[in-house]
Amino acid sequence: MTYAYLFKYIIIGDTGVGKSCLLLQFTDKRFQPVHDLTIGVEFGARMVNIDGKQIKLQIWDTAGQESFRSITRSYYRGAAGALLVYDITRRETFNHLTSWLEDARQHSSSNMVIMLIGNKSDLESRRDVKREEGEAFAREHGLIFMETSAKTACNVEEAFINTAKEIYRKIQQGLFDVHNEANGIKIGPQQSISTSVGPSASQRNSRDIGSNSGCC
Amino acid sequence: MSGHKCSYPWDLQDRYPQDKSVVNKMQQKYWETKQAFIKATGKKEDEHVVASDADLDAKLELFHSIQRTCLDLSKAIVLYQKRICFLSQEENELGKFLRSQGFQDKTRAGKMMQATGKALCFSSQQRLALRNPLCRFHQEVETFRHRAISDTWLTVNRMEQCRTEYRGALLWMKDVSQELDPDLYKQMEKFRKVQTQVRLAKKNFDKLKMDVCQKVDLLGASRCNLLSHMLATYQTTLLHFWEKTSHTMAAIHESFKGYQPYEFTTLKVKLEGPLENLERSKVLFISQAKSIAESIIMSGLRMPKRELCLQQSLFFTVSGFIMIIHCNPKAQIQPS
Repeated sequence: MTYAYLFKYIIIGDTGVGKSCLLLQFTDKRFQPVHDLTIGVEFGARMVNIDGKQIKLQIWDTAGQESFRSITRSYYRGAAGALLVYDITRRETFNHLTSWLEDARQHSSSNMVIMLIGNKSDLESRRDVKREEGEAFAREHGLIFMETSAKTACNVEEAFINTAKEIYRKIQQGLFDVHNEANGIKIGPQQSISTSVGPSASQRNSRDIGSNSGCC
Repeated sequence: MSGHKCSYPWDLQDRYPQDKSVVNKMQQKYWETKQAFIKATGKKEDEHVVASDADLDAKLELFHSIQRTCLDLSKAIVLYQKRICFLSQEENELGKFLRSQGFQDKTRAGKMMQATGKALCFSSQQRLALRNPLCRFHQEVETFRHRAISDTWLTVNRMEQCRTEYRGALLWMKDVSQELDPDLYKQMEKFRKVQTQVRLAKKNFDKLKMDVCQKVDLLGASRCNLLSHMLATYQTTLLHFWEKTSHTMAAIHESFKGYQPYEFTTLKVKLEGPLENLERSKVLFISQAKSIAESIIMSGLRMPKRELCLQQSLFFTVSGFIMIIHCNPKAQIQPS
Protein backbone atom coordinates (compact mmCIF):
# COMPACT_ATOMS: atom_id res chain seq x y z
CA MET A 1 0.00 0.00 0.00
CA THR A 2 1.52 3.28 -1.02
CA TYR A 3 1.12 6.36 1.01
CA ALA A 4 2.26 9.96 0.82
CA TYR A 5 3.16 10.25 4.45
CA LEU A 6 3.42 8.12 7.52
CA PHE A 7 2.57 9.74 10.83
CA LYS A 8 3.60 8.19 14.09
CA TYR A 9 0.98 8.51 16.81
CA ILE A 10 1.27 7.64 20.43
CA ILE A 11 -1.66 7.06 22.76
CA ILE A 12 -0.98 7.84 26.41
CA GLY A 13 -2.92 8.14 29.66
CA ASP A 14 -3.69 6.29 32.87
CA THR A 15 -4.47 2.61 32.94
CA GLY A 16 -8.04 1.67 32.09
CA VAL A 17 -9.05 4.90 30.36
CA GLY A 18 -9.66 3.06 27.10
CA LYS A 19 -6.54 3.65 25.04
CA SER A 20 -6.54 0.19 23.51
CA CYS A 21 -10.29 0.36 22.93
CA LEU A 22 -9.94 3.62 21.04
CA LEU A 23 -7.33 2.06 18.82
CA LEU A 24 -9.38 -1.08 18.27
CA GLN A 25 -12.41 1.02 17.38
CA PHE A 26 -10.38 3.12 14.97
CA THR A 27 -8.60 0.28 13.20
CA ASP A 28 -11.08 -2.59 13.43
CA LYS A 29 -14.34 -0.75 14.10
CA ARG A 30 -15.23 -2.99 16.97
CA PHE A 31 -15.45 -2.72 20.72
CA GLN A 32 -14.23 -5.22 23.23
CA PRO A 33 -15.49 -4.48 26.75
CA VAL A 34 -13.10 -6.76 28.59
CA HIS A 35 -9.53 -6.99 27.65
CA ASP A 36 -6.01 -7.76 28.69
CA LEU A 37 -3.65 -5.18 30.06
CA THR A 38 -1.34 -3.77 27.47
CA ILE A 39 2.18 -4.94 28.10
CA GLY A 40 4.64 -2.27 27.02
CA VAL A 41 3.10 -1.25 23.73
CA GLU A 42 0.82 -2.50 20.99
CA PHE A 43 0.62 -1.29 17.44
CA GLY A 44 -2.08 -0.42 15.02
CA ALA A 45 -2.06 1.13 11.57
CA ARG A 46 -4.64 2.59 9.22
CA MET A 47 -4.75 4.61 6.06
CA VAL A 48 -6.59 7.88 6.08
CA ASN A 49 -7.18 10.37 3.36
CA ILE A 50 -6.42 13.99 4.00
CA ASP A 51 -6.78 16.44 1.19
CA GLY A 52 -6.65 13.66 -1.34
CA LYS A 53 -3.40 12.33 0.09
CA GLN A 54 -3.06 8.85 1.47
CA ILE A 55 -1.60 9.02 4.91
CA LYS A 56 -0.64 6.01 6.94
CA LEU A 57 -1.15 6.37 10.66
CA GLN A 58 1.16 4.19 12.66
CA ILE A 59 -0.29 4.13 16.13
CA TRP A 60 1.59 3.17 19.27
CA ASP A 61 -0.80 2.18 21.99
CA THR A 62 1.17 2.35 25.21
CA ALA A 63 0.66 0.64 28.56
CA GLY A 64 -0.89 2.90 31.15
CA GLN A 65 0.15 0.99 34.24
CA GLU A 66 2.65 2.76 36.38
CA SER A 67 5.30 0.04 36.24
CA PHE A 68 5.60 0.62 32.48
CA ARG A 69 6.02 4.36 32.76
CA SER A 70 9.76 4.39 32.16
CA ILE A 71 9.44 2.00 29.25
CA THR A 72 6.68 4.10 27.72
CA ARG A 73 8.99 7.11 27.69
CA SER A 74 11.14 5.52 25.04
CA TYR A 75 8.12 5.37 22.72
CA TYR A 76 7.59 9.12 22.58
CA ARG A 77 10.65 9.61 20.47
CA GLY A 78 9.72 10.50 16.93
CA ALA A 79 5.97 10.78 17.43
CA ALA A 80 4.19 13.38 15.31
CA GLY A 81 0.95 13.19 17.25
CA ALA A 82 -0.14 12.16 20.70
CA LEU A 83 -3.57 11.22 21.98
CA LEU A 84 -3.68 12.02 25.66
CA VAL A 85 -6.64 10.13 27.06
CA TYR A 86 -8.52 10.40 30.35
CA ASP A 87 -11.69 8.77 31.58
CA ILE A 88 -14.56 11.21 32.17
CA THR A 89 -15.94 8.91 34.88
CA ARG A 90 -12.74 8.89 36.94
CA ARG A 91 -11.43 12.22 38.12
CA GLU A 92 -8.01 10.92 39.10
CA THR A 93 -7.26 10.09 35.47
CA PHE A 94 -7.97 13.76 34.71
CA ASN A 95 -5.82 14.91 37.62
CA HIS A 96 -2.86 12.95 36.28
CA LEU A 97 -2.94 14.73 32.93
CA THR A 98 -0.30 17.27 33.94
CA SER A 99 2.23 14.56 34.68
CA TRP A 100 1.49 12.82 31.37
CA LEU A 101 1.79 16.10 29.54
CA GLU A 102 5.10 16.80 31.20
CA ASP A 103 6.37 13.40 30.08
CA ALA A 104 5.12 14.01 26.55
CA ARG A 105 6.70 17.44 26.22
CA GLN A 106 9.96 16.26 27.68
CA HIS A 107 10.43 13.20 25.52
CA SER A 108 9.15 14.31 22.15
CA SER A 109 9.69 17.04 19.64
CA SER A 110 8.16 20.40 20.47
CA ASN A 111 6.03 20.31 17.34
CA MET A 112 4.16 17.20 18.35
CA VAL A 113 0.41 17.70 18.03
CA ILE A 114 -1.38 16.66 21.19
CA MET A 115 -5.06 15.80 21.22
CA LEU A 116 -6.72 15.65 24.62
CA ILE A 117 -9.43 13.02 24.74
CA GLY A 118 -12.09 12.57 27.39
CA ASN A 119 -13.17 9.00 26.75
CA LYS A 120 -16.27 7.02 27.79
CA SER A 121 -18.67 9.83 26.90
CA ASP A 122 -21.41 7.19 26.64
CA LEU A 123 -21.36 6.89 30.43
CA GLU A 124 -22.99 10.27 30.93
CA SER A 125 -24.69 9.19 34.17
CA ARG A 126 -21.36 8.39 35.80
CA ARG A 127 -19.60 11.51 34.55
CA ASP A 128 -17.08 12.89 37.05
CA VAL A 129 -15.25 15.43 34.90
CA LYS A 130 -17.21 18.18 33.19
CA ARG A 131 -16.72 18.78 29.52
CA GLU A 132 -15.83 22.40 30.29
CA GLU A 133 -12.99 21.30 32.53
CA GLY A 134 -11.49 19.28 29.71
CA GLU A 135 -11.87 22.22 27.36
CA ALA A 136 -10.28 24.58 29.85
CA PHE A 137 -7.33 22.25 30.37
CA ALA A 138 -6.82 21.94 26.62
CA ARG A 139 -7.02 25.70 26.13
CA GLU A 140 -4.56 26.34 28.90
CA HIS A 141 -2.00 23.92 27.51
CA GLY A 142 -2.58 24.48 23.81
CA LEU A 143 -4.11 21.10 23.02
CA ILE A 144 -6.98 20.07 20.79
CA PHE A 145 -9.89 18.65 22.77
CA MET A 146 -12.58 16.08 22.11
CA GLU A 147 -14.84 13.80 24.05
CA THR A 148 -15.14 10.34 22.58
CA SER A 149 -16.69 6.98 23.19
CA ALA A 150 -14.78 3.95 22.08
CA LYS A 151 -17.92 1.94 22.77
CA THR A 152 -20.31 3.83 20.50
CA ALA A 153 -17.48 4.95 18.17
CA CYS A 154 -18.59 8.52 18.71
CA ASN A 155 -15.87 10.99 17.68
CA VAL A 156 -13.23 8.25 17.47
CA GLU A 157 -12.62 8.73 13.74
CA GLU A 158 -12.63 12.48 14.21
CA ALA A 159 -10.09 12.37 17.02
CA PHE A 160 -7.57 10.48 14.93
CA ILE A 161 -8.28 12.32 11.71
CA ASN A 162 -8.34 15.80 13.18
CA THR A 163 -4.94 15.13 14.70
CA ALA A 164 -3.70 14.05 11.29
CA LYS A 165 -5.15 17.19 9.72
CA GLU A 166 -3.39 19.34 12.25
CA ILE A 167 -0.09 17.60 11.57
CA TYR A 168 -0.68 17.97 7.86
CA ARG A 169 -1.39 21.64 8.32
CA LYS A 170 1.85 22.06 10.21
CA ILE A 171 3.70 20.35 7.37
CA GLN A 172 2.10 22.78 4.95
CA GLN A 173 3.21 25.66 7.09
CA GLY A 174 6.70 24.24 7.10
CA LEU A 175 6.77 23.71 10.86
CA PHE A 176 7.69 20.07 10.40
CA ASP A 177 10.81 19.02 8.60
CA VAL A 178 9.53 15.97 6.76
CA HIS A 179 13.04 14.74 6.07
CA ASN A 180 13.87 14.50 9.71
CA GLU A 181 12.47 11.24 10.98
CA ALA A 182 12.73 12.46 14.57
CA ASN A 183 9.56 14.43 13.85
CA GLY A 184 7.60 11.23 13.38
CA ILE A 185 6.85 11.80 9.74
CA LYS A 186 8.07 9.65 6.90
CA ILE A 187 7.56 10.23 3.27
CA GLY A 188 6.05 7.25 1.55
CA PRO A 189 7.97 5.07 -0.89
CA GLN A 190 8.18 6.30 -4.51
CA GLN A 191 6.73 9.59 -3.58
CA SER A 192 8.07 12.80 -4.94
CA ILE A 193 8.42 15.43 -2.32
CA SER A 194 5.83 17.81 -3.58
CA THR A 195 4.26 19.46 -0.63
CA SER A 196 3.00 22.38 -2.64
CA VAL A 197 -0.64 22.05 -1.77
CA GLY A 198 -2.49 25.29 -2.02
CA PRO A 199 -2.64 27.23 1.24
CA SER A 200 -6.39 27.70 0.88
CA ALA A 201 -6.96 23.96 1.21
CA SER A 202 -4.88 23.67 4.34
CA GLN A 203 -6.63 26.68 5.84
CA ARG A 204 -9.98 25.04 5.36
CA ASN A 205 -8.69 21.90 7.06
CA SER A 206 -7.42 23.74 10.03
CA ARG A 207 -10.82 25.30 10.54
CA ASP A 208 -12.36 21.84 10.72
CA ILE A 209 -10.16 20.91 13.57
CA GLY A 210 -11.74 21.08 16.93
CA SER A 211 -15.28 21.38 15.62
CA ASN A 212 -16.91 18.25 16.84
CA SER A 213 -19.57 16.35 15.01
CA GLY A 214 -21.85 16.98 17.91
CA CYS A 215 -22.89 13.44 18.60
CA CYS A 216 -21.38 13.45 22.06
CA MET B 1 -9.71 4.82 4.12
CA SER B 2 -8.52 1.31 4.02
CA GLY B 3 -5.68 -0.92 5.02
CA HIS B 4 -6.80 -2.02 8.44
CA LYS B 5 -4.01 -3.66 10.27
CA CYS B 6 -3.86 -4.12 13.94
CA SER B 7 -2.14 -6.52 16.25
CA TYR B 8 -3.49 -7.20 19.71
CA PRO B 9 -2.32 -9.37 22.52
CA TRP B 10 -5.39 -11.57 22.28
CA ASP B 11 -4.66 -12.19 18.61
CA LEU B 12 -1.08 -12.94 19.39
CA GLN B 13 -1.35 -15.52 22.14
CA ASP B 14 -0.97 -18.35 19.68
CA ARG B 15 1.52 -16.68 17.44
CA TYR B 16 3.94 -15.92 20.20
CA PRO B 17 4.13 -18.78 22.63
CA GLN B 18 6.79 -18.60 25.26
CA ASP B 19 10.21 -19.11 23.76
CA LYS B 20 11.80 -22.03 25.56
CA SER B 21 15.11 -21.95 23.75
CA VAL B 22 18.41 -21.90 25.59
CA VAL B 23 19.31 -18.48 24.21
CA ASN B 24 16.09 -17.03 25.51
CA LYS B 25 16.61 -18.64 28.90
CA MET B 26 20.10 -17.21 29.05
CA GLN B 27 18.92 -13.73 28.15
CA GLN B 28 16.15 -13.97 30.70
CA LYS B 29 18.63 -15.03 33.36
CA TYR B 30 20.92 -12.20 32.38
CA TRP B 31 18.27 -9.56 33.03
CA GLU B 32 17.11 -11.28 36.16
CA THR B 33 20.66 -11.27 37.48
CA LYS B 34 21.05 -7.66 36.51
CA GLN B 35 17.94 -6.80 38.50
CA ALA B 36 19.13 -8.86 41.47
CA PHE B 37 22.45 -7.06 41.26
CA ILE B 38 20.81 -3.63 41.16
CA LYS B 39 18.79 -4.53 44.22
CA ALA B 40 21.70 -6.05 46.11
CA THR B 41 24.01 -3.11 45.50
CA GLY B 42 21.28 -0.69 46.51
CA LYS B 43 21.39 1.15 43.20
CA LYS B 44 18.42 3.34 42.50
CA GLU B 45 15.62 1.35 40.96
CA ASP B 46 13.07 2.68 38.51
CA GLU B 47 10.94 4.95 40.68
CA HIS B 48 7.73 4.16 38.83
CA VAL B 49 8.23 0.45 39.17
CA VAL B 50 8.93 0.90 42.88
CA ALA B 51 5.92 3.19 43.29
CA SER B 52 3.65 0.67 41.61
CA ASP B 53 4.52 -1.80 44.37
CA ALA B 54 3.89 0.66 47.20
CA ASP B 55 0.91 -1.22 48.61
CA LEU B 56 2.83 -4.46 48.58
CA ASP B 57 5.83 -2.89 50.28
CA ALA B 58 3.61 -1.45 52.99
CA LYS B 59 2.24 -4.93 53.63
CA LEU B 60 5.76 -6.32 53.78
CA GLU B 61 6.67 -3.68 56.32
CA LEU B 62 3.75 -4.82 58.44
CA PHE B 63 4.80 -8.43 58.02
CA HIS B 64 8.33 -7.72 59.20
CA SER B 65 6.98 -5.85 62.18
CA ILE B 66 4.77 -8.81 63.09
CA GLN B 67 7.71 -11.12 62.71
CA ARG B 68 9.98 -8.96 64.88
CA THR B 69 7.52 -8.15 67.63
CA CYS B 70 6.37 -11.75 67.95
CA LEU B 71 9.94 -12.84 68.56
CA ASP B 72 10.37 -10.05 71.10
CA LEU B 73 7.17 -11.00 72.81
CA SER B 74 8.18 -14.63 72.99
CA LYS B 75 11.49 -13.68 74.60
CA ALA B 76 9.80 -11.31 77.01
CA ILE B 77 7.39 -13.98 78.18
CA VAL B 78 10.23 -16.39 78.91
CA LEU B 79 12.09 -13.75 80.89
CA TYR B 80 9.00 -12.69 82.77
CA GLN B 81 8.21 -16.26 83.69
CA LYS B 82 11.72 -16.88 84.93
CA ARG B 83 11.65 -13.81 87.12
CA ILE B 84 8.30 -14.71 88.56
CA CYS B 85 9.89 -17.97 89.59
CA PHE B 86 12.87 -16.25 91.17
CA LEU B 87 10.71 -13.79 92.99
CA SER B 88 8.46 -16.51 94.24
CA GLN B 89 11.47 -18.40 95.57
CA GLU B 90 12.86 -15.35 97.33
CA GLU B 91 9.49 -14.48 98.71
CA ASN B 92 9.12 -17.96 100.07
CA GLU B 93 12.60 -17.86 101.63
CA LEU B 94 11.83 -14.56 103.26
CA GLY B 95 8.53 -15.90 104.57
CA LYS B 96 10.20 -18.97 106.04
CA PHE B 97 12.93 -16.84 107.56
CA LEU B 98 10.42 -14.49 109.15
CA ARG B 99 8.47 -17.34 110.61
CA SER B 100 11.50 -19.02 112.14
CA GLN B 101 12.69 -15.70 113.58
CA GLY B 102 9.19 -14.94 114.82
CA PHE B 103 9.11 -18.09 116.89
CA GLN B 104 12.20 -17.00 118.75
CA ASP B 105 10.95 -13.48 119.38
CA LYS B 106 8.34 -13.35 122.11
CA THR B 107 7.44 -9.67 121.67
CA ARG B 108 4.75 -8.23 119.46
CA ALA B 109 7.34 -7.92 116.71
CA GLY B 110 7.66 -11.69 116.78
CA LYS B 111 3.93 -12.04 116.23
CA MET B 112 4.09 -9.63 113.35
CA MET B 113 6.96 -11.54 111.82
CA GLN B 114 5.13 -14.83 112.04
CA ALA B 115 1.99 -13.46 110.48
CA THR B 116 3.91 -11.71 107.76
CA GLY B 117 6.01 -14.77 107.05
CA LYS B 118 2.91 -16.84 106.60
CA ALA B 119 1.40 -14.30 104.28
CA LEU B 120 4.55 -14.16 102.23
CA CYS B 121 4.70 -17.94 101.84
CA PHE B 122 1.09 -17.91 100.72
CA SER B 123 1.71 -15.13 98.27
CA SER B 124 4.75 -16.91 96.82
CA GLN B 125 2.68 -19.99 96.12
CA GLN B 126 -0.12 -17.99 94.59
CA ARG B 127 2.31 -16.11 92.43
CA LEU B 128 3.38 -19.35 90.74
CA ALA B 129 -0.13 -19.71 89.37
CA LEU B 130 0.72 -16.93 86.95
CA ARG B 131 3.05 -19.29 85.16
CA ASN B 132 0.26 -21.41 83.72
CA PRO B 133 -1.31 -18.81 81.48
CA LEU B 134 2.12 -17.47 80.59
CA CYS B 135 3.33 -20.94 79.60
CA ARG B 136 0.28 -21.38 77.45
CA PHE B 137 0.76 -17.93 75.98
CA HIS B 138 4.35 -18.71 75.14
CA GLN B 139 3.39 -21.95 73.44
CA GLU B 140 0.75 -20.19 71.39
CA VAL B 141 3.11 -17.44 70.31
CA GLU B 142 5.72 -20.02 69.31
CA THR B 143 3.18 -22.02 67.34
CA PHE B 144 2.07 -18.84 65.65
CA ARG B 145 5.64 -18.02 64.75
CA HIS B 146 6.48 -21.47 63.45
CA ARG B 147 3.30 -22.06 61.52
CA ALA B 148 1.62 -18.86 60.44
CA ILE B 149 4.61 -16.57 60.21
CA SER B 150 6.92 -19.03 58.52
CA ASP B 151 4.20 -19.98 56.05
CA THR B 152 3.73 -16.33 55.11
CA TRP B 153 7.47 -15.95 54.96
CA LEU B 154 7.66 -18.70 52.31
CA THR B 155 5.06 -16.91 50.22
CA VAL B 156 6.95 -13.66 50.64
CA ASN B 157 10.12 -15.32 49.41
CA ARG B 158 8.38 -16.80 46.40
CA MET B 159 6.90 -13.40 45.66
CA GLU B 160 10.31 -11.73 45.90
CA GLN B 161 11.67 -14.27 43.43
CA CYS B 162 8.86 -13.47 41.01
CA ARG B 163 9.34 -9.77 41.60
CA THR B 164 12.97 -10.06 40.56
CA GLU B 165 11.92 -11.99 37.46
CA TYR B 166 9.29 -9.41 36.62
CA ARG B 167 11.52 -6.42 37.16
CA GLY B 168 14.28 -8.14 35.21
CA ALA B 169 11.85 -8.68 32.35
CA LEU B 170 10.90 -4.98 32.53
CA LEU B 171 14.55 -4.02 32.26
CA TRP B 172 14.81 -6.25 29.24
CA MET B 173 11.73 -4.71 27.69
CA LYS B 174 13.07 -1.24 28.30
CA ASP B 175 16.24 -2.26 26.54
CA VAL B 176 14.53 -3.61 23.42
CA SER B 177 12.19 -0.60 23.36
CA GLN B 178 14.98 1.84 22.72
CA GLU B 179 15.07 1.54 18.95
CA LEU B 180 11.75 -0.07 18.25
CA ASP B 181 10.20 0.20 14.81
CA PRO B 182 7.01 -1.78 14.22
CA ASP B 183 7.71 -1.98 10.51
CA LEU B 184 10.97 -3.82 11.01
CA TYR B 185 10.14 -7.48 11.27
CA LYS B 186 13.33 -8.50 13.04
CA GLN B 187 12.89 -5.97 15.83
CA MET B 188 9.26 -6.77 16.30
CA GLU B 189 10.00 -10.45 16.55
CA LYS B 190 12.37 -9.74 19.39
CA PHE B 191 10.00 -7.33 21.06
CA ARG B 192 7.16 -9.88 20.98
CA LYS B 193 9.42 -12.43 22.60
CA VAL B 194 10.23 -10.09 25.46
CA GLN B 195 6.63 -9.00 25.71
CA THR B 196 5.56 -12.59 26.21
CA GLN B 197 8.18 -12.89 28.91
CA VAL B 198 6.97 -9.75 30.67
CA ARG B 199 3.36 -10.84 30.44
CA LEU B 200 4.15 -14.19 31.98
CA ALA B 201 6.33 -12.75 34.73
CA LYS B 202 3.70 -10.14 35.48
CA LYS B 203 0.99 -12.74 35.76
CA ASN B 204 3.02 -14.77 38.24
CA PHE B 205 4.07 -11.75 40.21
CA ASP B 206 0.57 -10.24 40.39
CA LYS B 207 -0.82 -13.50 41.69
CA LEU B 208 1.80 -13.79 44.43
CA LYS B 209 1.49 -10.12 45.21
CA MET B 210 -2.16 -10.62 45.98
CA ASP B 211 -1.38 -13.77 47.95
CA VAL B 212 1.11 -11.92 50.11
CA CYS B 213 -1.22 -9.01 50.77
CA GLN B 214 -4.06 -11.32 51.77
CA LYS B 215 -1.85 -13.51 53.92
CA VAL B 216 -0.35 -10.58 55.79
CA ASP B 217 -3.81 -9.19 56.49
CA LEU B 218 -4.93 -12.53 57.77
CA LEU B 219 -1.77 -12.88 59.84
CA GLY B 220 -2.37 -9.53 61.53
CA ALA B 221 -5.98 -10.37 62.28
CA SER B 222 -5.22 -13.81 63.67
CA ARG B 223 -2.50 -12.41 65.90
CA CYS B 224 -4.92 -9.89 67.34
CA ASN B 225 -7.27 -12.74 68.00
CA LEU B 226 -4.55 -14.80 69.66
CA LEU B 227 -3.44 -11.91 71.86
CA SER B 228 -6.89 -10.98 73.01
CA HIS B 229 -7.59 -14.59 73.99
CA MET B 230 -4.31 -15.24 75.72
CA LEU B 231 -4.02 -11.94 77.49
CA ALA B 232 -7.54 -12.26 78.82
CA THR B 233 -6.61 -15.52 80.53
CA TYR B 234 -3.44 -13.99 81.89
CA GLN B 235 -5.31 -10.99 83.16
CA THR B 236 -7.90 -13.09 84.96
CA THR B 237 -5.21 -15.10 86.72
CA LEU B 238 -3.30 -11.98 87.65
CA LEU B 239 -6.40 -10.34 89.10
CA HIS B 240 -7.19 -13.50 90.97
CA PHE B 241 -3.70 -13.55 92.46
CA TRP B 242 -3.93 -9.92 93.49
CA GLU B 243 -7.31 -10.39 95.00
CA LYS B 244 -6.17 -13.30 97.14
CA THR B 245 -2.87 -11.82 98.32
CA SER B 246 -4.20 -8.33 98.90
CA HIS B 247 -6.96 -9.88 100.95
CA THR B 248 -4.39 -11.71 103.12
CA MET B 249 -2.18 -8.65 103.41
CA ALA B 250 -5.11 -6.45 104.29
CA ALA B 251 -6.04 -8.88 107.06
CA ILE B 252 -2.57 -8.66 108.61
CA HIS B 253 -2.55 -4.93 108.20
CA GLU B 254 -5.78 -4.83 110.15
CA SER B 255 -4.40 -7.01 112.93
CA PHE B 256 -1.30 -4.79 113.29
CA LYS B 257 -3.44 -1.79 114.17
CA GLY B 258 -2.43 -0.22 117.41
CA TYR B 259 1.09 -1.63 117.16
CA GLN B 260 3.92 0.77 117.38
CA PRO B 261 4.86 2.10 113.96
CA TYR B 262 8.51 2.20 112.91
CA GLU B 263 10.51 4.36 110.58
CA PHE B 264 13.01 2.76 108.25
CA THR B 265 16.02 4.13 106.52
CA THR B 266 17.84 1.36 104.63
CA LEU B 267 15.03 -0.24 102.75
CA LYS B 268 16.00 0.19 99.13
CA VAL B 269 19.46 -1.31 99.28
CA LYS B 270 18.19 -4.53 100.77
CA LEU B 271 15.44 -5.13 98.29
CA GLU B 272 17.38 -4.92 95.07
CA GLY B 273 17.25 -8.15 93.19
CA PRO B 274 14.35 -10.34 92.30
CA LEU B 275 11.61 -7.83 92.87
CA GLU B 276 13.24 -5.20 90.74
CA ASN B 277 14.08 -7.74 88.09
CA LEU B 278 10.50 -8.83 88.09
CA GLU B 279 9.31 -5.29 87.77
CA ARG B 280 11.67 -4.79 84.90
CA SER B 281 10.60 -7.89 83.04
CA LYS B 282 7.00 -7.13 83.77
CA VAL B 283 7.46 -3.71 82.29
CA LEU B 284 9.18 -5.27 79.28
CA PHE B 285 6.41 -7.79 78.91
CA ILE B 286 3.72 -5.19 79.14
CA SER B 287 5.45 -2.86 76.73
CA GLN B 288 5.71 -5.68 74.20
CA ALA B 289 2.12 -6.59 74.55
CA LYS B 290 1.23 -2.95 74.36
CA SER B 291 3.19 -2.24 71.24
CA ILE B 292 1.44 -5.08 69.52
CA ALA B 293 -2.11 -5.07 70.59
CA GLU B 294 -2.45 -1.35 71.20
CA SER B 295 -5.80 -0.21 72.32
CA ILE B 296 -7.83 -3.40 72.33
CA ILE B 297 -5.57 -5.24 74.64
CA MET B 298 -4.49 -2.30 76.70
CA SER B 299 -8.00 -1.65 77.80
CA GLY B 300 -7.94 -5.17 79.25
CA LEU B 301 -4.50 -4.86 80.82
CA ARG B 302 -5.21 -1.89 83.04
CA MET B 303 -4.20 -2.84 86.53
CA PRO B 304 -6.12 -2.25 89.68
CA LYS B 305 -3.63 0.29 90.96
CA ARG B 306 -5.03 0.62 94.42
CA GLU B 307 -4.69 -3.04 95.21
CA LEU B 308 -1.24 -3.28 93.76
CA CYS B 309 -0.09 -0.34 95.82
CA LEU B 310 -1.59 -1.66 98.99
CA GLN B 311 -0.03 -5.03 98.52
CA GLN B 312 3.36 -3.71 97.64
CA SER B 313 3.58 -1.10 100.36
CA LEU B 314 2.68 -3.70 102.91
CA PHE B 315 5.27 -6.04 101.56
CA PHE B 316 7.91 -3.34 101.59
CA THR B 317 7.00 -2.19 105.05
CA VAL B 318 6.99 -5.54 106.71
CA SER B 319 9.93 -7.09 105.01
CA GLY B 320 11.98 -3.92 105.34
CA PHE B 321 11.29 -3.82 109.03
CA ILE B 322 12.39 -7.41 109.53
CA MET B 323 15.49 -6.94 107.44
CA ILE B 324 16.59 -4.06 109.52
CA ILE B 325 16.15 -5.85 112.76
CA HIS B 326 17.77 -9.09 111.73
CA CYS B 327 20.25 -8.32 109.03
CA ASN B 328 21.43 -4.96 110.14
CA PRO B 329 21.21 -4.85 113.92
CA LYS B 330 23.11 -1.58 114.08
CA ALA B 331 20.52 0.31 112.09
CA GLN B 332 18.67 2.96 114.02
CA ILE B 333 15.10 2.13 114.74
CA GLN B 334 13.19 5.03 116.02
CA PRO B 335 9.75 4.54 117.39
CA SER B 336 7.87 7.64 116.39
